[in-house]
Amino acid sequence: MNSAPVDVSVPRIELAAVRDIVPVAASVVPFALVIGSAMREIGVSGGVGVLGGGAMYSGSAHLAAVALLGAGAELLMILAAVAVINARLLVYGAALEPRFRTQPRWFRWLGPHFLVDQTYALATARDDLDEPDRFRRYWVVAGLVLGAFWIVAMAAGMGLGAAIPASSPLNFTATAVIIALLAPRLRARPQVLVAAVAAAVATTSSSLPNGLGLGVGLAAGIVAGALIEARQR
Amino acid sequence: MSAVVLLASSVVTWLLRVGFIVIVPARRLPEGLRRVLDHAAVAALAALLATALTRESGPAWLLTPSPVLVAAVAAGLVAWRTGRMGLTVVVAVTVLWAAQLIM
Repeated sequence: MNSAPVDVSVPRIELAAVRDIVPVAASVVPFALVIGSAMREIGVSGGVGVLGGGAMYSGSAHLAAVALLGAGAELLMILAAVAVINARLLVYGAALEPRFRTQPRWFRWLGPHFLVDQTYALATARDDLDEPDRFRRYWVVAGLVLGAFWIVAMAAGMGLGAAIPASSPLNFTATAVIIALLAPRLRARPQVLVAAVAAAVATTSSSLPNGLGLGVGLAAGIVAGALIEARQR
Repeated sequence: MSAVVLLASSVVTWLLRVGFIVIVPARRLPEGLRRVLDHAAVAALAALLATALTRESGPAWLLTPSPVLVAAVAAGLVAWRTGRMGLTVVVAVTVLWAAQLIM
């Protein structure tokens, strides 16, 4: 991502999408390796694992589903965990809905498949995607590149299995991308307060199961933002 | 079984993605609720970051000096000053690697 003024001389939005998404896609490679390795551990076949990675397109929920499956959990319990972990996608969808409103029907139904934390943050950080056609090309290219990295890394993780080290400095790349997406937005007081509330609540509720603390932190930050705006008006 | 679980999980995830885009378009939500969403990106990213740091160093991550905290602060400064993602990631991993050697 580049917070510098968008260069209008960039001839094609596809190039901008690739430039934005490649660091993000590289940063999720360690996570995809771990998920692939976890799937191999519980005996998921290669085809199912790779197709599942593309179909879910969602790391934390995928890893939770695999862990619960390995622990012998019931299908409904697994789905409940997936729903809790990914409930924030509802919020992202609501925020991006104006971008999808004017799109062709196929894209309104299929395009949101590429909705993840990082693509949401990238798309909302750009101010040159008002044209529906431009947004659509940006979104599809970013989504496909991210998906390609994701699936290839997951397949590699399934191939390597237990050879994947559980911890290495490279695992920090995904966190670094979150920082890179967040820091440039912290230029005004309301944003700083929203971030502080969300982070504090997510931290204090981190012992909740199934990543629920993340959702609680997100909700607290949004409420804080609403209160700040109400006071300003 | 794993195929069923992954397929069903994918459907649940996709429903959440399209939920407020096509099933109940967000424009039908009350105006006040929609305006609140302006803060969703910052709140989500901050919550994600806090969750990741808690996973690395426990709930007292902000008060416990750790290589991860040093790397996160360095990355934050670079991102805040430059807005460049690639540079931020390289600095974060390099600083973490170095801090782990020293601390």
